[in-house]
Amino acid sequence: MVNLTIDGRPASVPEGTTIVLAAATAGIALTTNVGCMGQGVCGACRALVRRTGEPEVRTALACETPVEDGMQVSFLDRVAPRRPHAYSETDLVDGWTAYERVLAVFPEAVRCRHCSGCDRACPKGLEVQKGVNLAASGDIAGAAAVFDLCVMCNLCVAACPEHIAPNHLGLFARRLAAAGTQRPADLIRRLHEITSGAMTIDADACTDKQP
Amino acid sequence: MAPEMTTNLVLTAPEHRVGADLDAWLSGSGGLGLRLALETPSGLISLMEAAGLRGLGGAGFPTFRKWAAAAAEPDPEKVVVCNGNEDEPGTFKDVFLLRETPHQVIEGALIAGLAIRARRVVLYVNPHARGAFDAVAKAVAQWQEHPLLAAVGAAVGGPLRLEAMRSPGLYIGGEETAVVSAVEGGFPFPRRKPPFPAASGVGGHPTVINNVETLATVSHIVRHGAAWYRGLGRNGAAGTKLFSLSGDVQRPGLYELPMGTPLSELIFVHGGGMLLGKEFKAVFTGGPSNTLLTRDELDVPMDFESVRARGSRLGTGAMIVVSEGTSIVRKVAEYVNFFAAGSCGQCPPCKTGSYQLAHLLQRIDTGLATRADLDAVEHLCDLLPGSGRCGLIDGAVTVVASSLQRFRSEYEGQLAGG
Repeated sequence: MVNLTIDGRPASVPEGTTIVLAAATAGIALTTNVGCMGQGVCGACRALVRRTGEPEVRTALACETPVEDGMQVSFLDRVAPRRPHAYSETDLVDGWTAYERVLAVFPEAVRCRHCSGCDRACPKGLEVQKGVNLAASGDIAGAAAVFDLCVMCNLCVAACPEHIAPNHLGLFARRLAAAGTQRPADLIRRLHEITSGAMTIDADACTDKQP
Repeated sequence: MAPEMTTNLVLTAPEHRVGADLDAWLSGSGGLGLRLALETPSGLISLMEAAGLRGLGGAGFPTFRKWAAAAAEPDPEKVVVCNGNEDEPGTFKDVFLLRETPHQVIEGALIAGLAIRARRVVLYVNPHARGAFDAVAKAVAQWQEHPLLAAVGAAVGGPLRLEAMRSPGLYIGGEETAVVSAVEGGFPFPRRKPPFPAASGVGGHPTVINNVETLATVSHIVRHGAAWYRGLGRNGAAGTKLFSLSGDVQRPGLYELPMGTPLSELIFVHGGGMLLGKEFKAVFTGGPSNTLLTRDELDVPMDFESVRARGSRLGTGAMIVVSEGTSIVRKVAEYVNFFAAGSCGQCPPCKTGSYQLAHLLQRIDTGLATRADLDAVEHLCDLLPGSGRCGLIDGAVTVVASSLQRFRSEYEGQLAGG
């Protein structure tokens, strides 16, 4: 038998059991932090886990983490994004304006402070920060690819100090990528630089400065 | 005993509060410490050791150790950073020193520069501290053309850059390694130690980071000697300490008292006692990431060792006094929220764990929580310490755990169903 502590309660379960099943065995009411019961797709069973002899505390999904002797587990509540991210399906079809939509709906995305907290928090091992940075620089298809396996557990929402809500940004990118053809990211980025005034074009340069 | 007889002893003495006026500072006793230090720079570190000067920003780490470690490094491009990021709830001492006595602070920083042979001295000031940055920037500008600065430069083997910079103004920006990140121009992310900044700090150069109050004290020690400084304290402690007294007292404010002054004297003599009709309940010490002090600790001499002997820490010297009728759970929830918001994001257990603690405490305070929630709080207090690369999460846990230990019945009384 394996002995562990879950939210302060002792649990004694057979080896090979997952944390969620151990919690059920220990008599913890499964009213929250539980959804798909072991399929790893709903993202409800967010938890902090410390293993015996490890100083580090890691985030994990309890349904896909096998129990270990001496393990300490604290379930984490769902942290909602600070504000809703509203967009309609009509926003999704035009690849030419997708980048502007991303910046309008997720203006925080450009504020990433590169702490990598989201990467460390992600129980699926996604490169969350890279995905955020790709979306914030106009590579919607790239961002969508990074977030392909995201289960929306919201751990990166809790972890992000800039309130970017990376998984929601990722979901938006996935929707954009699924709905329409994404234009080449470098072209979109350059067009954005020109329209936003970050890059100025001297339209007369060719004629004026010819020898 | 009249309180004014023993307050404002050194750093906050009226004659030192000349603001950003270098002539006024130097026409008084200002500058004497620096001139003496220029005569015997090699004796400064042992002088600080003999005086028993400790880090007054909260850690209480012996100042001479940092200086000696940096001085021993061969790198010629050493840096001194005066840490004026003060952002802890209830702490308001550095803002006073920076605004009212910027030259006192700069003189101390220059002496530290002499002691370790630094080529760069940075005054790192919280932009939210009203009036502090302007005073420091003005004061720094006055030093630029002064022969004393050139003399320090000559003594350290090259020109010395003295500059004022705005800190990010975030709580985490005061953590020692976060200061290094910020001075380098980045976000104030704390780093793992070692290497300690004294060995490898700003730009990889040995860096001494001292709190404003610590550096403000330095010139006085040079002028008056180690024995004088030791003699200022009580109960065997050295020097004076600035106490930021706030909360349910008659006269909240900043008090400079001998190190080792009993807590009761701060509250009931200098602070004028509790607000009318209020009973003393507890003190959150700065800032406020330490074990609560209760009625049993009122007699504790406020110095690093004595407070630690009672299981708490002196911290920044902030004393937030709360009275009976104040909900400890609510106060703790507020502070944990502060830490959760201030967590930098690098370490998910710190960010998510502090949010979870805050969430559970909020639930308890609202009367929605069950016994299982309280168990979960206690379990987090066991799980989280040591899980971050700096001490932020440890401080948040300390205030929760100590309040649970000392006011457990309050938590239990708030649970749904009693």
